[in-house]
This record gives sequence, structure tokens and C-alpha cells, in this order.
Amino acid sequence: MIVEVQNLTKRYHGKAAVDDISFDVKPREIVGFLGPNGAGKTTTMQILAGFLPATGGSVKVAGFDVFSHSLEVRRRIGYLPENVPLYTDMRVCEYLRFRGRLKGLGGARLRSRVSAVLEDGGLTDVHRQIIGSLSRGFRQRVGLADSLLAEPELLILDEPTVGLDPNQIRQIRNLIRSLGDRHTVLLASHILHEVEMVCNRVLIINRGQIVASDSPGKLVGLLRGNRRVVAVLRGGTPENVQRLLTAVPAVVNVSCEPQGEWLLCTCESQKNSDICEDVFRVVAANGWTLRELREERRNLEDVFAEVTAEDTGNGLPLNGGMAS
Amino acid sequence: MRNFLTLWARELAACFLSPVAYVLMVVFLAVTSATFVLEVVQNPVVDQPLTVSLCEAIVVWLTILVTVVCMRLFAEEKRSGTLETLMTVPVTETQIVLGKYAGALSFLLLVTFPVVLTLLLLVVVSPVLQLSDIDGGALLSGGLILVMVSSLLVAVGLLVSLLTRNQIIAAICCFCAVWCVLLFGWIVTLISGGGITATYVTVTDHIRDFSRGIVDTRPLVLYVAGSALSLFAAVRVLESRRWR
Repeated sequence: MIVEVQNLTKRYHGKAAVDDISFDVKPREIVGFLGPNGAGKTTTMQILAGFLPATGGSVKVAGFDVFSHSLEVRRRIGYLPENVPLYTDMRVCEYLRFRGRLKGLGGARLRSRVSAVLEDGGLTDVHRQIIGSLSRGFRQRVGLADSLLAEPELLILDEPTVGLDPNQIRQIRNLIRSLGDRHTVLLASHILHEVEMVCNRVLIINRGQIVASDSPGKLVGLLRGNRRVVAVLRGGTPENVQRLLTAVPAVVNVSCEPQGEWLLCTCESQKNSDICEDVFRVVAANGWTLRELREERRNLEDVFAEVTAEDTGNGLPLNGGMAS
Repeated sequence: MRNFLTLWARELAACFLSPVAYVLMVVFLAVTSATFVLEVVQNPVVDQPLTVSLCEAIVVWLTILVTVVCMRLFAEEKRSGTLETLMTVPVTETQIVLGKYAGALSFLLLVTFPVVLTLLLLVVVSPVLQLSDIDGGALLSGGLILVMVSSLLVAVGLLVSLLTRNQIIAAICCFCAVWCVLLFGWIVTLISGGGITATYVTVTDHIRDFSRGIVDTRPLVLYVAGSALSLFAAVRVLESRRWR
């Protein structure tokens, strides 16, 4: 395990920001850390980076305790804080050289690493510019380049794509995905779509507690409620279509709406059954014309909404992967 | 050691990367030289070596210079959040404090040094003064005490800067702290009614003695110990955020 967090608690003036959370991160894993604002994401990341002390519990990075072996831990991490603080009076290359030296790089290795991260971050064209004159997107990339400098085992990225345009977000997403081959990444983000695409595993934290931990696909699968399959077809009367589709085992409800000459049929099934194939067979057996057959996918956004909703009181329904 | 040098270079460069440094240099040179020249011109018959007037003029304006240099040391890093990036790379708190201290002190000395040239300028323009009127030894020992006083004031200023994230508060507290150090002997005299202790800790007396050429090692120990104590406290304050 590269990260081992056991019963971590952090209190500010008696109020728990992080309340007795435990999780592990395996090497080469890309873990998305999700939660509403004020849920405790940044606090947890700051503790992992050794910037904040914990009130209770233990945090180990690569086997070293972040409190008692802080320097060893800091040698092994690359940390990108939320607001990307940078020395705005320095040039990009000067800043990266300065940070590289502090991270123990020197000589030819420093030069090669600086040019490598300039390239990875797409900063080659602006490497002589003063950081203060760069746009938010470029500053974000300078911060990311800095965190990659010493090729750390663990990358802690707190909202790396905030303030970027869609193209830049895609570039950063691809970069992070490619980092998974060489680094372990812990990534906090608000953009659920991004986490779903990039991460192997998702941790959702709410009010200082972990409320879900599993791969994005499994989390979506654990969602409560029925699965829905939508079929757009023609050739049968709505009543007939509805009757025949309802007869399919596992289908609990069918609704048919005429749309021009086509019929839009929505079939709800029990949670864990895939009825697409059955629906198709019914359509084929009756000689109807099928234009579209799709499952209405629920995504991480639904998971997020469900586990972080204020008043559902649903406890920990999605803690499927806590043991992993 | 390498980290210390990197941080020192960064701190010194940071001073020169902002226009504040150049404005400070020009203004400090102008006001200090003017204070010194006016003092000499207005009191031509007072039997006081030129080096004493020069060192006194420098110390008065040094208080403001120290305040301006020190107020941003940590307060700025805290405000902008760069302290977070600095504290999460493998450098120790001692290296951070010493690097910043060395950077600020060397900048201060670089700004102060050209003022000595005013002395030479005075000799050139004055019809009565000769170069031989300037006591080289006194000038050197005056320089020594100024370095000592500067190192103590910067150490105290750095400690104050560490306690707040607001630069204005840092500046005000720093200015007060610097004057407290300078007037410490006078405060002790007020409280204890004078005595041997007060004479040991009166900074203005040390400056007067040293700039006359009287080198006493006891004040040197005081300044070195005082600076070390302030820096030690600063390291502990910075470390405290890891266990608070």
C-alpha cells in the first residue's frame, strides 16, 4: 500500500473536519477523491502532504508516518494545492529550477527533468514568461509540472482542472491518465465526469466521513432504483407492444409513447438484470422495426447526489469497496 | 546546506525582482545621507568623529528599512499560500528560516553599504576635511556593530513576520519590536533605575562606542545570542504548525 490512512480525525476548534476516516491506496492506482465543498477533501490532502497535523489516527505514505517521518514522506510526494500558489515574480523555468533544487535534483538531472515537465505540461512556449503574466490555465499547468518534477511515487492533486477551458481539461485529463503508469495519483475534483473517466477508484467524502469507496462502475451499479431500457420502434400498436414487453421476465413496468410514427417504449427492470437482449428478442419475434435500443445509464453524478444528499439519511449504502 | 543556499538565493532575488527594492535603495541612501550631512553641517564644532554621526544616521533609518524588508518575509508567503508548497518539499524548517534570514540580511547590508560612500563624498566637497581625518579602524568597527545590530533586528523582524499573515500588521508589529530592541537599555534603566545591566544592553551606547573605534566583545556576544534566540524561536513557531 502506498497510502494507509487509519482512523484519521482532524478537528478545528472542536469541530471535526475529518471524522475517523480510513482508506488505502495501492501503487499505480488513480483514486478520485470526491465530496461537496467543506466535506474535508482539502484537509485530508493537506494532512497527507504533511502540511497539517492530524488530531488523531495514523497516516502512512510508502510506509512512512507523515508526522514522525515528514521529510521521507515529502521526498516521495508531489503536491498540487487547491489554489496553485506560485511565486508570481519568477519566470516559469526559474521557478521549476528552484523547486527542483529544493526537491533534491541537481545538474544534468535537474535540466532534463525541467525540460521534460515543461513538455508534459505544454509549457515549452511560455517557459521564459513571468508566472504573474500567465493565465489561470497556464499557472495550473506550472503547478502540475512542479508536482511532477521529482517523479514522486504519490501525486496529490487538489482540483487540478479548476479554471481550465474544455481543451485544457482534456489535455490535463490525458496527462493524469498517462501518469497512472508511473505514479499513484490521488485526485480531488468537482468534475464528476472527469473522475469517472480517469480514476480506477472513487472515494466520496461527506461531512468528514467516507460514504462511498469503489470503482466508478461498481458504484453506479450499487445505486438504488431500477434500470431503464429505452426502445424506439414501429410496427405494433401501443397496447400490444406494452402487453408483450411487460410479459418479459424481470420487466416491472413499461410505458409507451407515440412519437410521430415511432413508439418510444421505456422498460424498467429490477436492479441487477439486463433486459436489453430480451427486449430485442420480443421486437424481432414480432417483426417490428427497431430504430434505437439503449440503456439509460446512471452515472457518478447520480451516485454523488445520492450519497451526499443532506436529508436522505441513507448512511453508508455504497461502501462496497472499503475492504479493498 | 544546498537547500539553504537555494532558499537564500531565492530570497535575495525576490527582493530585487520587485521595484520596491530599487525605491528602497534610493530613498534610504537619500534620507540617510541627508540626515548625516545635515548633522555634520549644523554642528561643525561638536567634537564627535564623523563615523559616529554616520552610524547614528544609518541606525535611525535602518528601523524603517528592517520593517519594510521583514514584513513580507513570511506574511507574504502565508497570504499567497506559497508557504504550503514550501512546507511540502523536503526542506527543514531550520533551512527555511535561515535561508530567508540570510536573504533578508544580505539585502539589508547591500542597501546600507553605499551610504558609507557619503563619507567620502563629504571629504571631496568639504574644504576643511581631509581623507586622513577619517579613522579607518573606527569605520570598520562601526561597520561591525551595524552588521551586528542589523542581524539582531532582522531576526526579530522575521519572528514577528511569522506570527501573522497580514503584511500591515506585520509591519506595525515589526516596527514596534525593532524600536523595543533599540530602546531596550533605556527601558531597563527606567525599570531598574540604571546599573550595570542597563549599560550592557543599551544598543545606542554600543553603536557610539564601536563607531568611535572601541571594540568590546561583550555586546557582540549579546547580538549573536539575541539573533540566535530569535531564529530558534522562529524555527519553533514554524515547526509548531506540524503539531498544533
